[in-house]
Amino acid sequence: MKKLLATASMAIAMLTSALHAQTVDIVVHYPMPGFFKNVMDQISTEYVKQHPDVKITFANPSPTYEDGLQLMLRQAGTSEMPDVSFIGLNRLRVLAERNVGVDLSSFVKADPTMAAEGYSERLLNLARFNGRQVGLAFATSNPIFYYNADLVRKAGGDPDNMPKTWDGVLALSAKINALGDGVNGMSYRWQGDDWMFSALLFGHGGTMLTSDEKKVAFDGPEGLASFKLIDRMVKEGKMPAMTSDAAVQSFTAGKTGLFFWTTGALRSVINGVGNKFELRTTSMPVIDAQKGRLPTGGNAAVMFTTDPQKQKAVFDFIKFASGAYGASVVVPGTGYVPNNDLAPKDPRYLGNFYKENPLFRAGLNQMELMIPWYSFPGNNGVKVTQTIVDNLAQLVEQKVTPEEALKATSSEVQKLLPR
Amino acid sequence: MTRTDPISRHENRAGLFLVFPTFTLMVLLLILPTLAVFALSLTDAELGSTTFTFLGLDAYSDLLSDRNFLRAFKNTFIYVGLVSPASVILGLMLALLIEAETDARGFFRSIYFLPVVALVVAMASVWQYLMHPSFGPINLFLNIFGIASINWLGSSDNVLPALAIIGIWQGIGFNMVLFLAGLTGINRDLYAAAEMDGAKTAWSRFWVVTWPMLGPTTLFVITITVINAVKVFETVATLTQGGPAKASEVLLWSIYQEGFVFLHIGTASAMAMVFIVVLLVLLLIQTRLLEKQVHYT
Amino acid sequence: MTTASTHWMRVLRLMILGLGALLMLFPFFFMISTSFKPQSEVFSAGLSLIPQQWAIIANYSKAMTRIPMLQILANGLIVCASIVFFQILFALPCAYALAKLKFKGREFLFGLVLLGLLVPIHAISIPLYATARYAGILNTLAILVVPFTLSVFAIFLFRQFIKTIPDDLIMAARTDGLSEFAIVWRIILPNAWPSASAFAIFSVVAHWNDLYWPLISVSKMHLATPPLGLLFFRAAEAGDDYGALMAATVLITAPLVLFFLFAQKLFIEGMTMTGLKG
Repeated sequence: MKKLLATASMAIAMLTSALHAQTVDIVVHYPMPGFFKNVMDQISTEYVKQHPDVKITFANPSPTYEDGLQLMLRQAGTSEMPDVSFIGLNRLRVLAERNVGVDLSSFVKADPTMAAEGYSERLLNLARFNGRQVGLAFATSNPIFYYNADLVRKAGGDPDNMPKTWDGVLALSAKINALGDGVNGMSYRWQGDDWMFSALLFGHGGTMLTSDEKKVAFDGPEGLASFKLIDRMVKEGKMPAMTSDAAVQSFTAGKTGLFFWTTGALRSVINGVGNKFELRTTSMPVIDAQKGRLPTGGNAAVMFTTDPQKQKAVFDFIKFASGAYGASVVVPGTGYVPNNDLAPKDPRYLGNFYKENPLFRAGLNQMELMIPWYSFPGNNGVKVTQTIVDNLAQLVEQKVTPEEALKATSSEVQKLLPR
Repeated sequence: MTRTDPISRHENRAGLFLVFPTFTLMVLLLILPTLAVFALSLTDAELGSTTFTFLGLDAYSDLLSDRNFLRAFKNTFIYVGLVSPASVILGLMLALLIEAETDARGFFRSIYFLPVVALVVAMASVWQYLMHPSFGPINLFLNIFGIASINWLGSSDNVLPALAIIGIWQGIGFNMVLFLAGLTGINRDLYAAAEMDGAKTAWSRFWVVTWPMLGPTTLFVITITVINAVKVFETVATLTQGGPAKASEVLLWSIYQEGFVFLHIGTASAMAMVFIVVLLVLLLIQTRLLEKQVHYT
Repeated sequence: MTTASTHWMRVLRLMILGLGALLMLFPFFFMISTSFKPQSEVFSAGLSLIPQQWAIIANYSKAMTRIPMLQILANGLIVCASIVFFQILFALPCAYALAKLKFKGREFLFGLVLLGLLVPIHAISIPLYATARYAGILNTLAILVVPFTLSVFAIFLFRQFIKTIPDDLIMAARTDGLSEFAIVWRIILPNAWPSASAFAIFSVVAHWNDLYWPLISVSKMHLATPPLGLLFFRAAEAGDDYGALMAATVLITAPLVLFFLFAQKLFIEGMTMTGLKG
């Protein structure tokens, strides 16, 4: 009898451990839950449905790309680290330089279906650094021009023919501001990080650093022109100095006429606006038709786990999320543009979507102008972008002139670059 | 009683036995960490890396010449200077008013105490809504009186006063309750004696009896208020993250950023040591003043 | 003083107190009112407290589901209750010994207590975090509790109070054959009950609010405490749905506020007692 019980319990133990061994538990971390929570929930639910042997748990999402990156660096090498995270495209470089995260090159090479599933060289390059495949690009964006068609009309503008230059925009903004009743002309999202600033810089044809990446290059004529433009936004366009949250809230409440931010915020803005006014979008004003470019915002899925069994599951999940299905969820769910070449053409995924949703076309139409979001070398990348933002804040509050702000930014950033 | 007296030997053993668990905790949670912070502060250690260089006291001279740290220092003291006097004085005034009230005393006491019990992070979110520059109720209310809207949290000039308003709102009730307790402890006979000595008005009675007798309480309230103000963190973390342009960068936020976000635990430890010194100085000032004041009862 | 002027004084006093009360309460009014409003009404010009369209169900269900609200509240309760339990468990015997017993090193220990009052958790968070990380105990409910189990404030407070307990009481217990350890729990605790419950309330309020330590020691949502949960909810709403955010703040603030309203006397006298003895 005892022997029977012993064998039985051993059998049960082996069975349960075998069953356990089959379920893979993936911990996923991502930033900006404001944009991505619904999308992440949807993608993971669908993935688990298709792969019942996988369980997905979410770590606390980080509010920004910077917090997300710093959290990963802090958790690197410990048991707290998630198995996969989504890192801002301009922060991938730091991971590569510090050898944090798994090089996906071998996974990509070993997978025969990558090209057929829409992973072009261009796409893979977005998350490649010095030959290392740091991740797979998940969501990409560019800056677009949101506007309140009702306010534009009230101010005498034509919502179907929005200005294509900054001069025109600033003039319109001033007219909207003159409507009174607490209405603001415009908001340009300079807060948070250097992305929207780089939109102006690249729009003028400038670069952040010299090509050897040792010296600041944004203090040249393009940079000065960008600082001056922001100054004009305040002086002529009457842009108020607000926190980023307040600025969005003001626009969605119908109190700001023109708003410049990432196309990735589109779904969030649509939800916030509701029925309050007629929301429209269009391309950014063109500064330099030849040299002008726009920065690519967004993030890439990065694998951290070194457990071979988990790695298989994670790579599969990453492909799922960044592939055509993922794009079909991310694009309508956020406003990010499809980086997967297959998705926009295939009616199974996004083929009809763009036909039916004109607001989303602004980002799509600017895609050929996209260049990488610049990553600063060295360990102080986050401090560098914070410095740029802090100095812009001073400029927007009109405490310094554009020249002074540029000089301060330049010298402070120079000090933070690796020597 | 000699040392070998069985009673005192027993007492000695019992005493040591009772304090042993706490003493262990003290070593683990207080003494060792404090020593560790001191040691770390002399290096440029980074979280996650095993190599570091010993900087010695240079670490401190670097810190004290760091513009951002000095800014954090300044901001913290401005915040303390805005919150403390208002908190204490308003708390005292409320206590006096409520104490003079007979029927509605408990009612008002509860209402004024309510903000103290509300979750700071939650109420900060509410205040963010109230302080919205375009349509927060506060500005809308000011507009009714023809006052222009104020950019509370978005302007580097206004952000510290805005945070101070939230801090005062949250702290008044606590101070009020402390003062109330102090007031009820004052002997009624003193008032009668004062009145007979010529102090006829409520105003003079206050200065002759109430104020001196409240001495210890007042000092305690000031200390608690100041120390809590120096430890401001929740509102900054929730609403401003040190901005705009470092205008609301305060000591604890700097320590958190430097140590846990940028992973420079050497620098962060040096900041933590400065923080401890600041608290020590504040407490010393309090005890010094206390010695001077409390000599009557 | 004539009755007429005292009457007027009273009216004036009530007016001032009433106005002040409104100032104290108006954030709560707006918090609740906004939590009932749909997104479209939240940021409209106009100071209305009554919503035109009611969105109670939408907002509150969002607040409950967007984050695991019940679990977060439960975490807060468990963590705060555990902290208080251990704080009193460790502090009471120590305070008794410091107050009533003579033993070697007593002055030294008391000096350490005073020193402890000086060093807040924030200052020593770095080595504590590094140690916890090395030991692999981050992201547990335990790590939220352990650093706070030592409360020098409790020791200080209880010691003051225990000193006022008459020695005869203790002598009698000793003659009855009780060990010092038994004395602590059978004699001192019942007598120090007002002081202990006062401290408990003070500790719960302080730790329910604590953001700093949970922020750095916990990164999994199911372990979040109320402040952390709310911070996440804010990030997830990103200026979108303020109505739901206010609903979440109502739900998270409610427990302590309701507890306070029911146990007001206990609360206020508790905090007074801790205050004065400092």
